[in-house]
Amino acid sequence: MRVTALLVITTAMLGGCVTANVDEMTFDAPVAGMGEGSIVILGRRHAPDYDTEPDFIDCIGGHVSRGDAGINVIPERRFIDSLYPWFEPRTAPLSIESVDRLMTVPSVANKLGELDLQYMIWIDGRTEDTNSSGSMTCGVGPTGAGCFGFGTWGTESEYEATIWNFGEGSEVGRMSAQTSGQSYMPAVVVPIPIIAPVQDTACESLGNQLLQYLSAGPDS
Amino acid sequence: MVERLLDSTTLGLRAKRALALTCLLALAACSAREVVVEGSFPTPVVDPVPVSVGVLFTKEFREHELVDDATGRGEASWRVSTGVAQVNFWSTLLPAFFQNVVFIESYEDLNTYDVDAVLIPEVTDVQYAIPLYTNVKVYEIWMRYQLSLVEPEQLKDDENQAIVTENAQPFVQWPLTAYGKTPTAFLQSDTDAVNEAAVMALRDAGANFITSFGRVPGVLEWVANPEEVQ
Repeated sequence: MRVTALLVITTAMLGGCVTANVDEMTFDAPVAGMGEGSIVILGRRHAPDYDTEPDFIDCIGGHVSRGDAGINVIPERRFIDSLYPWFEPRTAPLSIESVDRLMTVPSVANKLGELDLQYMIWIDGRTEDTNSSGSMTCGVGPTGAGCFGFGTWGTESEYEATIWNFGEGSEVGRMSAQTSGQSYMPAVVVPIPIIAPVQDTACESLGNQLLQYLSAGPDS
Repeated sequence: MVERLLDSTTLGLRAKRALALTCLLALAACSAREVVVEGSFPTPVVDPVPVSVGVLFTKEFREHELVDDATGRGEASWRVSTGVAQVNFWSTLLPAFFQNVVFIESYEDLNTYDVDAVLIPEVTDVQYAIPLYTNVKVYEIWMRYQLSLVEPEQLKDDENQAIVTENAQPFVQWPLTAYGKTPTAFLQSDTDAVNEAAVMALRDAGANFITSFGRVPGVLEWVANPEEVQ
């Protein structure tokens, strides 16, 4: 019982070891909140060595829609499928000017009109493990199995959000979040992972900034 | 079989089970990986090209698979079957891209349907890469196609009442490349990741086809005057 309590306390203490930096440059925030209309949050996937994780995009979308029920967030996969093939890695617009060219295709313009899109938000970045150290030995014997040792690794997240105002056809802001943390895995018979919530913290930080921007009313 | 071998030893029950599990895991690690590519493909949002096209999926296309036998220790053999997914994907894309599409399955179809041309897609190459080989944390698939537009008459073997593609002279022929990747993910198996990369590659093939079709030499002239094939 005491050991369990100690483990829970240690996990709680070490699990929170994440640092976060956020940066923001926005203009033309909606003065009374978004009102009617929808937004879509999309991940950039054209880099050769990484993809912005779909679950991170879902996390941001969930954070925004939970924070303000008035904001309709179109799920990324649904949006990309409903406008196939214009938002695939090969064809996705890299600037708001490219969207204007896309709007010259009548069926695309109609589809975007149906969605009543006000803001398109692009997220570019990734979470990756950095340095790792320590060692762990695991074994299986006639009486059971177990591990002994200690491992630790660092994790870093770096994401940038670019906001396009669809109605005005302009880029209206950029926000970024950088987080890092150290995870640990001590093992005495049973390995106990103490994971730093680096990506979750980045999601919360960036989600809060977006929420603040999109819900900007007189009080915020 | 592993259990039978262990029955002949003098180990305890728990040790036998542990050893059996270890053997099975080791065998699983060395066995061939098989992927039958599966996915759902959206209908493209395009303004249809005003031509009537027959689409012929050859037997090789329908049954296409990539086979890569292991060459060294620690490597696994791979068999990636893309044929069914290819047919599903192109059967979704092409009817939306052209104003009128019929799927040619027999000699009778060639006589029955009045089409401006027959499109024959071929998969000429498929390659894959997994993190084990590249040290990059993405699974990748490359595909290369050869697409041909052929006059329907050229495919008819009237004597045998069959379709022949061997001696057909396409009036337009062009290569098409596609690439798909998916990052490594926690608790995702190699086979799931390769399947996802293949689905992405197919989607990319469609995106490339749609955006490059008008730039293929000879295509615009044909679209402008489909009755008169070059």
